[in-house]
Amino acid sequence: MTTADPLYQVFADSLAIPLEQVNDELTYNTIPQWDSTAHMVLVAELENHFKVMLDTDDIIDMSSVAKAREILAKHGVTA
Amino acid sequence: MILQGYQVTLTPVGEDDLDLLRQWRNDPDIARQMLSQEPISEEQQQAWFKKISRDPAQQHFVIRFRDEPIGSANIKACGPGKTLKTATTIEPGLYIGDPRYRQNILAFAPTLVLNDYCFEQLGVQQLRAVVKATNTAALNYNQKLGYRTLNSGDLVEITLNFEDYQQHTRAMKALLSRSATRTNP
Repeated sequence: MTTADPLYQVFADSLAIPLEQVNDELTYNTIPQWDSTAHMVLVAELENHFKVMLDTDDIIDMSSVAKAREILAKHGVTA
Repeated sequence: MILQGYQVTLTPVGEDDLDLLRQWRNDPDIARQMLSQEPISEEQQQAWFKKISRDPAQQHFVIRFRDEPIGSANIKACGPGKTLKTATTIEPGLYIGDPRYRQNILAFAPTLVLNDYCFEQLGVQQLRAVVKATNTAALNYNQKLGYRTLNSGDLVEITLNFEDYQQHTRAMKALLSRSATRTNP
Protein backbone atom coordinates (compact mmCIF):
# COMPACT_ATOMS: atom_id res chain seq x y z
CA MET A 1 0.00 0.00 0.00
CA THR A 2 1.34 3.42 -0.88
CA THR A 3 0.48 6.71 0.78
CA ALA A 4 -0.67 9.57 -1.41
CA ASP A 5 1.61 12.57 -1.74
CA PRO A 6 0.19 14.89 0.99
CA LEU A 7 0.47 17.90 -1.29
CA TYR A 8 -1.47 16.12 -4.04
CA GLN A 9 -4.09 15.14 -1.47
CA VAL A 10 -4.54 18.75 -0.34
CA PHE A 11 -4.93 19.84 -3.96
CA ALA A 12 -7.42 17.06 -4.68
CA ASP A 13 -9.48 17.92 -1.59
CA SER A 14 -9.35 21.70 -2.13
CA LEU A 15 -10.18 21.59 -5.81
CA ALA A 16 -12.63 18.69 -5.40
CA ILE A 17 -10.97 16.65 -8.13
CA PRO A 18 -9.75 13.02 -8.18
CA LEU A 19 -6.28 12.48 -6.77
CA GLU A 20 -5.22 10.98 -10.11
CA GLN A 21 -5.85 14.32 -11.77
CA VAL A 22 -3.23 16.07 -9.63
CA ASN A 23 0.35 16.26 -10.86
CA ASP A 24 3.17 18.77 -10.59
CA GLU A 25 2.26 20.34 -13.94
CA LEU A 26 -1.32 21.16 -12.90
CA THR A 27 -1.70 24.94 -13.27
CA TYR A 28 -4.12 27.58 -12.02
CA ASN A 29 -7.10 28.26 -14.28
CA THR A 30 -6.33 25.40 -16.68
CA ILE A 31 -9.16 23.30 -15.26
CA PRO A 32 -12.56 24.72 -14.29
CA GLN A 33 -12.13 23.49 -10.71
CA TRP A 34 -9.00 25.58 -10.06
CA ASP A 35 -10.48 29.05 -10.31
CA SER A 36 -10.05 32.04 -8.04
CA THR A 37 -12.52 30.76 -5.46
CA ALA A 38 -10.79 27.38 -5.30
CA HIS A 39 -7.45 29.16 -5.07
CA MET A 40 -8.61 30.82 -1.86
CA VAL A 41 -9.78 27.47 -0.46
CA LEU A 42 -6.47 25.94 -1.50
CA VAL A 43 -4.46 28.60 0.32
CA ALA A 44 -6.45 28.03 3.50
CA GLU A 45 -6.08 24.24 3.23
CA LEU A 46 -2.33 24.42 2.59
CA GLU A 47 -1.94 26.68 5.60
CA ASN A 48 -4.01 24.40 7.82
CA HIS A 49 -2.43 21.17 6.67
CA PHE A 50 1.21 22.26 6.62
CA LYS A 51 0.96 24.80 9.45
CA VAL A 52 2.40 27.70 7.47
CA MET A 53 1.33 31.28 6.86
CA LEU A 54 1.57 32.25 3.22
CA ASP A 55 2.10 35.87 2.25
CA THR A 56 0.70 37.57 -0.82
CA ASP A 57 3.81 36.90 -2.90
CA ASP A 58 3.43 33.19 -2.15
CA ILE A 59 -0.25 33.30 -3.09
CA ILE A 60 0.50 35.03 -6.39
CA ASP A 61 3.48 32.83 -7.22
CA MET A 62 1.59 29.63 -6.43
CA SER A 63 0.42 29.12 -10.00
CA SER A 64 1.04 25.36 -10.18
CA VAL A 65 1.43 22.32 -7.96
CA ALA A 66 5.19 22.42 -8.57
CA LYS A 67 5.32 26.06 -7.49
CA ALA A 68 3.32 25.21 -4.37
CA ARG A 69 5.93 22.60 -3.50
CA GLU A 70 8.71 25.17 -3.96
CA ILE A 71 6.90 27.72 -1.80
CA LEU A 72 6.28 25.20 0.97
CA ALA A 73 9.97 24.25 0.84
CA LYS A 74 10.81 27.94 1.35
CA HIS A 75 8.73 27.75 4.54
CA GLY A 76 10.65 24.68 5.66
CA VAL A 77 8.02 22.14 4.64
CA THR A 78 9.04 19.11 2.60
CA ALA A 79 5.89 18.22 0.72
CA MET B 1 -3.40 60.05 -10.85
CA ILE B 2 -1.60 56.92 -9.71
CA LEU B 3 -3.73 54.14 -8.21
CA GLN B 4 -2.25 51.51 -5.93
CA GLY B 5 -3.37 48.44 -4.03
CA TYR B 6 -3.38 44.65 -3.86
CA GLN B 7 0.32 44.57 -4.87
CA VAL B 8 -0.12 46.46 -8.17
CA THR B 9 0.25 50.06 -9.29
CA LEU B 10 -1.76 51.70 -12.06
CA THR B 11 0.00 54.66 -13.67
CA PRO B 12 -1.49 56.85 -16.41
CA VAL B 13 -0.34 55.81 -19.89
CA GLY B 14 2.57 57.94 -21.10
CA GLU B 15 4.41 58.28 -24.44
CA ASP B 16 7.06 55.83 -23.24
CA ASP B 17 4.46 53.09 -22.77
CA LEU B 18 3.00 53.19 -26.26
CA ASP B 19 5.31 50.70 -28.01
CA LEU B 20 4.72 48.04 -25.39
CA LEU B 21 0.98 48.68 -25.29
CA ARG B 22 0.73 48.37 -29.08
CA GLN B 23 2.74 45.17 -29.00
CA TRP B 24 0.39 43.69 -26.40
CA ARG B 25 -2.78 44.98 -28.08
CA ASN B 26 -1.72 43.42 -31.40
CA ASP B 27 -0.86 40.08 -29.80
CA PRO B 28 -3.38 37.65 -31.37
CA ASP B 29 -4.18 36.12 -27.97
CA ILE B 30 -5.27 39.54 -26.68
CA ALA B 31 -6.75 40.96 -29.90
CA ARG B 32 -8.98 37.87 -30.20
CA GLN B 33 -10.97 38.92 -27.14
CA MET B 34 -11.38 42.55 -28.22
CA LEU B 35 -14.55 43.81 -29.89
CA SER B 36 -12.33 45.15 -32.70
CA GLN B 37 -9.53 42.84 -33.76
CA GLU B 38 -7.91 45.03 -36.40
CA PRO B 39 -4.18 45.49 -35.77
CA ILE B 40 -3.34 48.97 -34.46
CA SER B 41 -0.69 50.94 -36.38
CA GLU B 42 1.74 53.36 -34.76
CA GLU B 43 -0.07 56.27 -36.42
CA GLN B 44 -3.47 55.11 -35.17
CA GLN B 45 -2.09 54.72 -31.70
CA GLN B 46 -0.57 58.21 -31.70
CA ALA B 47 -3.93 59.67 -32.73
CA TRP B 48 -5.64 57.61 -30.00
CA PHE B 49 -3.13 58.78 -27.41
CA LYS B 50 -3.66 62.46 -28.32
CA LYS B 51 -7.40 61.99 -28.01
CA ILE B 52 -7.42 60.18 -24.69
CA SER B 53 -4.84 62.49 -23.13
CA ARG B 54 -7.37 65.34 -23.07
CA ASP B 55 -10.60 63.35 -22.74
CA PRO B 56 -12.24 63.71 -19.30
CA ALA B 57 -14.52 60.77 -20.13
CA GLN B 58 -11.78 58.16 -20.04
CA GLN B 59 -8.52 57.30 -18.37
CA HIS B 60 -5.98 54.68 -19.39
CA PHE B 61 -3.38 53.07 -17.15
CA VAL B 62 -0.39 50.77 -17.33
CA ILE B 63 -0.51 48.03 -14.68
CA ARG B 64 2.79 47.46 -12.89
CA PHE B 65 3.71 44.58 -10.62
CA ARG B 66 7.10 44.33 -8.92
CA ASP B 67 8.02 47.47 -10.88
CA GLU B 68 7.41 45.83 -14.26
CA PRO B 69 4.60 46.64 -16.69
CA ILE B 70 2.28 43.64 -16.97
CA GLY B 71 -0.87 44.96 -18.62
CA SER B 72 -3.26 47.76 -19.36
CA ALA B 73 -6.47 48.99 -17.77
CA ASN B 74 -8.93 51.73 -18.53
CA ILE B 75 -12.17 53.29 -17.37
CA LYS B 76 -14.72 55.08 -19.56
CA ALA B 77 -17.75 57.14 -18.57
CA CYS B 78 -21.05 55.84 -19.94
CA GLY B 79 -23.68 58.23 -21.25
CA PRO B 80 -23.59 61.18 -23.62
CA GLY B 81 -21.69 64.18 -22.30
CA LYS B 82 -20.66 62.38 -19.13
CA THR B 83 -17.16 62.59 -17.71
CA LEU B 84 -15.55 60.23 -15.22
CA LYS B 85 -16.48 62.72 -12.51
CA THR B 86 -20.15 63.05 -13.49
CA ALA B 87 -20.99 59.55 -14.76
CA THR B 88 -23.21 57.24 -12.75
CA THR B 89 -22.03 54.25 -14.78
CA ILE B 90 -18.47 53.50 -15.78
CA GLU B 91 -17.15 50.82 -18.10
CA PRO B 92 -13.82 49.38 -16.99
CA GLY B 93 -11.54 47.41 -19.30
CA LEU B 94 -8.40 45.43 -18.74
CA TYR B 95 -5.98 42.98 -20.26
CA ILE B 96 -2.88 41.31 -18.91
CA GLY B 97 -0.14 41.59 -21.53
CA ASP B 98 2.60 39.70 -19.73
CA PRO B 99 1.90 36.00 -20.35
CA ARG B 100 3.37 35.06 -16.96
CA TYR B 101 0.39 36.65 -15.23
CA ARG B 102 -2.50 35.84 -17.59
CA GLN B 103 -3.22 32.59 -15.76
CA ASN B 104 -2.67 33.97 -12.31
CA ILE B 105 -4.74 35.11 -9.35
CA LEU B 106 -2.89 38.44 -9.70
CA ALA B 107 -5.11 39.25 -12.68
CA PHE B 108 -7.80 40.26 -10.17
CA ALA B 109 -5.61 42.86 -8.47
CA PRO B 110 -5.82 45.69 -11.05
CA THR B 111 -9.58 45.21 -11.33
CA LEU B 112 -9.98 45.50 -7.57
CA VAL B 113 -7.93 48.72 -7.61
CA LEU B 114 -9.97 50.19 -10.47
CA ASN B 115 -13.33 49.12 -9.06
CA ASP B 116 -12.51 50.51 -5.61
CA TYR B 117 -11.55 53.79 -7.28
CA CYS B 118 -14.77 53.94 -9.31
CA PHE B 119 -17.10 53.11 -6.42
CA GLU B 120 -15.30 54.76 -3.52
CA GLN B 121 -13.60 57.80 -5.09
CA LEU B 122 -15.68 58.59 -8.16
CA GLY B 123 -18.91 57.46 -6.48
CA VAL B 124 -20.45 55.65 -9.44
CA GLN B 125 -23.62 53.60 -8.98
CA GLN B 126 -22.64 50.74 -11.22
CA LEU B 127 -20.00 49.34 -13.51
CA ARG B 128 -20.84 47.90 -16.89
CA ALA B 129 -19.08 45.66 -19.35
CA VAL B 130 -19.83 44.14 -22.73
CA VAL B 131 -18.12 40.82 -23.31
CA LYS B 132 -18.13 38.46 -26.27
CA ALA B 133 -20.26 35.42 -25.45
CA THR B 134 -17.34 33.25 -26.59
CA ASN B 135 -15.01 34.85 -24.03
CA THR B 136 -15.95 32.50 -21.21
CA ALA B 137 -12.78 33.33 -19.29
CA ALA B 138 -13.81 36.98 -19.03
CA LEU B 139 -17.41 36.08 -18.19
CA ASN B 140 -16.30 33.74 -15.41
CA TYR B 141 -13.81 36.33 -14.18
CA ASN B 142 -16.49 39.02 -14.01
CA GLN B 143 -18.95 36.67 -12.34
CA LYS B 144 -16.42 36.19 -9.53
CA LEU B 145 -16.45 39.96 -9.04
CA GLY B 146 -20.22 39.95 -8.61
CA TYR B 147 -21.35 41.05 -12.09
CA ARG B 148 -24.90 40.13 -13.13
CA THR B 149 -25.98 39.45 -16.70
CA LEU B 150 -28.28 42.09 -18.16
CA ASN B 151 -28.54 40.95 -21.79
CA SER B 152 -27.22 37.86 -23.54
CA GLY B 153 -26.49 37.32 -27.23
CA ASP B 154 -23.31 37.33 -29.28
CA LEU B 155 -22.36 40.07 -26.86
CA VAL B 156 -23.19 39.80 -23.17
CA GLU B 157 -23.94 42.96 -21.22
CA ILE B 158 -23.13 42.70 -17.53
CA THR B 159 -23.39 45.14 -14.65
CA LEU B 160 -22.04 45.36 -11.13
CA ASN B 161 -23.31 47.39 -8.18
CA PHE B 162 -21.27 48.31 -5.11
CA GLU B 163 -23.07 45.94 -2.74
CA ASP B 164 -22.57 42.88 -4.95
CA TYR B 165 -18.96 43.91 -5.57
CA GLN B 166 -18.24 44.17 -1.85
CA GLN B 167 -19.88 40.84 -1.06
CA HIS B 168 -18.10 38.93 -3.80
CA THR B 169 -14.61 40.33 -3.33
CA ARG B 170 -14.15 40.44 0.44
CA ALA B 171 -12.13 37.21 0.59
CA MET B 172 -10.14 37.98 -2.54
CA LYS B 173 -9.20 41.42 -1.22
CA ALA B 174 -8.04 39.94 2.06
CA LEU B 175 -5.91 37.40 0.21
CA LEU B 176 -4.25 40.01 -1.99
CA SER B 177 -3.77 42.45 0.88
CA ARG B 178 -1.59 40.26 3.03
CA SER B 179 1.97 41.42 3.52
CA ALA B 180 4.43 40.70 0.73
CA THR B 181 7.94 39.55 1.55
CA ARG B 182 9.61 40.17 -1.78
CA THR B 183 11.52 43.42 -2.10
CA ASN B 184 11.23 45.17 -5.42
CA PRO B 185 14.54 45.89 -7.18
